[in-house]
Amino acid sequence: MKTLIKFLGLAGVLFLALLLAVVAGDYGPWYFAWLVGTTMIILIAAAGAVLMETQTSSGRRDEEF
Amino acid sequence: MIDATVVELSRMQFALTALYHFLFVPLTLGMTVMLAAMETVYFITGKPIYKEMTQFWGKLFGINFAIGVATGLTMEFEFGTNWSMYSHFVGDVFGTPLAIEGLMAFFLESTFVGLMFFGWDRLSRPAHLAVTYLVALGSNLSALWILIANGFMQDPVGALFDPDTMRMEFTSFSDLVFSEDAQAKFVHTSIAGFVCAAMFMMGISAYYLLTRRHREFAARSFRMAALVGVIASLAVITLGDALGRADYLLQAPKIAAMEGIWDTTKPPYEPWKLIALPNDAAQRDLFSFGLPYVLTPLVTHTFDKPIPGILELESDAKPRIVRGIQAVLALHAYATTRDPVALAVFRQNESDMGYGLLAQRFAPDQDLAKITAAELPTILDLTARETIPNVFVEFWSFRIMVALGFAFLAVFAFGAYYSLRNRLERHPFLLKLTMWSIPLPILATEFGWITAENGRQPWTVFGWLPTFQSASSHALGYMLFSLIGFALLYSSFIAAELYLMFKFARLGPEGRAAHAPPQPGPTLAGAPGYADKPWQ
Ligand code: HEM
Repeated sequence: MKTLIKFLGLAGVLFLALLLAVVAGDYGPWYFAWLVGTTMIILIAAAGAVLMETQTSSGRRDEEF
Repeated sequence: MIDATVVELSRMQFALTALYHFLFVPLTLGMTVMLAAMETVYFITGKPIYKEMTQFWGKLFGINFAIGVATGLTMEFEFGTNWSMYSHFVGDVFGTPLAIEGLMAFFLESTFVGLMFFGWDRLSRPAHLAVTYLVALGSNLSALWILIANGFMQDPVGALFDPDTMRMEFTSFSDLVFSEDAQAKFVHTSIAGFVCAAMFMMGISAYYLLTRRHREFAARSFRMAALVGVIASLAVITLGDALGRADYLLQAPKIAAMEGIWDTTKPPYEPWKLIALPNDAAQRDLFSFGLPYVLTPLVTHTFDKPIPGILELESDAKPRIVRGIQAVLALHAYATTRDPVALAVFRQNESDMGYGLLAQRFAPDQDLAKITAAELPTILDLTARETIPNVFVEFWSFRIMVALGFAFLAVFAFGAYYSLRNRLERHPFLLKLTMWSIPLPILATEFGWITAENGRQPWTVFGWLPTFQSASSHALGYMLFSLIGFALLYSSFIAAELYLMFKFARLGPEGRAAHAPPQPGPTLAGAPGYADKPWQ
């Protein structure tokens, strides 16, 4: 039951996101670009940080940055 | 009679409060997004250092947010106190986005800011992440409504003038919200905020790296900020181009002043002036140096379309001024007699009404009815010149913003490159440069606003309502007193901000969180995966 509710909740969010994308894409292309672009900026920054975790061996204090 | 000095003082007061206020806004817009990014990494990896980063940068954001809100509050009242004619004329349209902004800023944003600060131990990790995202969305949404309102001043769509109520009335909310100018403005301004926040975080992190304190913390913050900075500065440049194109299509005098175009251009050779000394009084450049073949594609996105020069725009304005004078006279007649003939004459010339209002300043006793045939040519000349904003200010504020934009891209690109290779500490010059660059993006945003608002002159509502006619009729003493009061009050806010920022930035992220054991909780990597490889 819990999984079903979670699934339905996520499906709802997805539906809203699609609706928003269609409306913003049709009437406000720059708004749409902002939504997609900002999400992308956040994800790329996060990816950069995650990459750093793989580059550095944690615990070593003489690491070069 | 309208007192020109009172109008000038009202303008100075608004410019002062707006420029002070905007020293805080971009950091708020950008920092919230950076916090969302950092907390996302905390959510994914579960490493406490990212929580510590979110909390430390969140503290600096909090200082900026609190003082920024205080400086913004007075501005909303200023429309009513100092710009009552303006408020009457466009209140129906302009008030709506301002009211929505108030709701967004005070209810959505402030509520979630509170939850973000105080909810670390009370909310689950996903719930806190959602709150941080809502803060980022909320702060940018409140900026959106202000920029929609400003977009209306630049390109008044979604409203029509009603001669019965003597004000502009709403015709379409969606035209207002989706106006081309508002859209381009929002994206450019919001992303400019990301640039400011990225440089701020990078600069402070560079300081830690240079002083070899909090290195792990600083290296991660630097990396994230540099990546945001590269993309955001690329975006700000491309979106700036889109904004310039919107100006080309909608505000010909602004783009002519921005590029210092006195005579209509001759494509495709026309050079883009890299530097020039425009002389407004003589209406020519004292000196200029440019890159040939660049201007036409840059502004028009074609190789063959000419761009109207200032001299041509002035002569094009003259017939509009004549029609505008007829419109205003007919409107006055209609207001007193309700005569349908007067209304018909007004309707015929309605779209040029603003130009008639503009001419009023130069009419004898500021009364258009008193203009004689002999005086008309002089009044047309004076009014036509008045339709052009100050070219020197426009030209240079635009160039400084653009030059800084390209410089930021270079700093971010080098920063990201050396950070990705973990070679930052071998380049102290770059670190010092980043540190000293902290105020520059904020300066660029100030020049951006000068470009946008100086370029809109002589109008408060482009083509409809002259600035000269928009102010309240205060006494000179009152205006001087409030201007000095604001200058002192806002300067003390800046001093408080700088003091607190320096204090907490110097102190660094020496919080409890750094040493606290990792909190169990869901992570994308699978709980409690992070615990196998704690950060230190
Ligand atoms: C090549 C780079 C850039 C170009 C071509 C550009 C273009 C423009 C234009 C044409 C305007 C006037 C908008 C109007 O008419 O209302 C403007 C305004 C503005 N710019 Fe830039 N810009 C650039 C870089 C930057 C940078 C680096 C920042 C700050 C980090 C910035 C921040 C602003 C702000 C805050 C405004 C005022 C708000 C607005 O009208 O959107 N710009 N920009």
